[in-house]
Amino acid sequence: MTIAAPEASLNALPRADGSARYSYAGYTVTASVNGPIEAQRRDEHAYEAHVDVIVRPAAGVGGTRERHLESILQSSLAQIILVKNFPRSVIQIVLQIESTPENAYVNTKLVQASLNLPIIPALFQTAVLALLSATVPMKATATSTVVAVVLEDGSKKIVADPSPKDIGEATSLHALAFTSHDELLLSESEGDFTVKEWDDVYERAQEICCQSAPKQAGVDMMLDDDASGPDMRSFLRSALETKVASDLYWK
Amino acid sequence: MSTESPLVVLPGESIDPSLIPTHHKNPLRLGPGLRHIPPSEIVPTVAGQLVVDNRKTSMWIEYNGGRYIPSQNDLIIGQIVRSATDFYYVSLSPYTPNATLPHLAFESATKKTRPQLSPGELVYARVSLANKHMDPELECVSPSTGKADGLGPLKDGMVFDVSLGFARRLLMAKSREEGKVEVLEALGEDGLGFEIAVGRNGKVWVNSESTKTVVLVGRALRETDEKNLGVEAQRKLVKKLVREMR
Repeated sequence: MTIAAPEASLNALPRADGSARYSYAGYTVTASVNGPIEAQRRDEHAYEAHVDVIVRPAAGVGGTRERHLESILQSSLAQIILVKNFPRSVIQIVLQIESTPENAYVNTKLVQASLNLPIIPALFQTAVLALLSATVPMKATATSTVVAVVLEDGSKKIVADPSPKDIGEATSLHALAFTSHDELLLSESEGDFTVKEWDDVYERAQEICCQSAPKQAGVDMMLDDDASGPDMRSFLRSALETKVASDLYWK
Repeated sequence: MSTESPLVVLPGESIDPSLIPTHHKNPLRLGPGLRHIPPSEIVPTVAGQLVVDNRKTSMWIEYNGGRYIPSQNDLIIGQIVRSATDFYYVSLSPYTPNATLPHLAFESATKKTRPQLSPGELVYARVSLANKHMDPELECVSPSTGKADGLGPLKDGMVFDVSLGFARRLLMAKSREEGKVEVLEALGEDGLGFEIAVGRNGKVWVNSESTKTVVLVGRALRETDEKNLGVEAQRKLVKKLVREMR
């Protein structure tokens, strides 16, 4: 199954310091970023900014699952934001999930207690885009993807950006994020897997997150283009180039 | 002055060392958006266009948007929040810690003759101290000459919010040539008389004898900013607005 290329629009919300709307693989997320702003007493840290992540589900109010997603995102985003530049302040990131892919095969309501790994890349990518749109000083940019290990005809197969059906059948699921310096930033796994499988997953995710535009120009890269999935880094770059060009139209 | 093609950089990307200006005597000056990691690494921290000025051996990142972060010597428009024993608390942007403006930081102010400002009033001030560990400090007087140089309380008029990048363009010494803002000149040529003060924190204060002019100038500025108007479009917009007013 081929998935449409990721789409993003920046500065969609007029009142926020920065915002982004990102859709890919059936997920649509809108994020707003405000900051650095004054911290409340309980969030105040004497030497660094507090990164406040709020995840809002498409319907209903957030629960334990959203809190868990928030904690995962919070710890990895705080790594790439220059938090030391803004002591005693808050950088607030609000992520509103707008739509998730519909699963015709499994009733999604039943898996309330399980982790929601497949949505992490969408949330993460939107947050990074919104932070860039709000010109929050950062150490590096980051890209993220989700990879599934699916049992197919008795052999294990690695599927990037799995469909809801693949996720239902997967033996394990992995969400990974890499900084623009090719460092692993986030790794969350679920299910049964061996070290060898994780290594393969890591390699595949790195390929998706870290290949940069010049490398892709090679002919051999073009051949297995379908298998390797989208090139997240050049996507991020092109989205930002559009934004900078419209900001500096007068140059 | 600028590089041949606009060079867009993202946070953490490496900058081609050949682009970094060098001079046998003058030190390299880094502007907003760049971070120096000792000993010799220069890394962008925001997404924007890298601008290199070889004559002044300086480089910076040109970008727009985000929240105002005070830095020294910026001219800003602030709103008085309240007065303490020795200074006023001034708000520069919503939800950020207030800046302090000493009661005596006005032209020829003494303990007995100092401007009495009440909450809600506006001041045009310079950032005299900006430090990440302290709240910013302001002054309405030049510390060397003791003159106001146009700074001080802003009476009457109205404040309009613009983007930080547009405020920067308005404040450029050659806003017409470098910043491509001609809306103010065009308004003046159409016979409108008004006073204006631009704050680096994305605020523009406009005052005039007629309220209509104030609203018109503010609308022209905001529309130029929001719709990314070029020089020609700015002139056209002013023509249209002036015609509608009369």
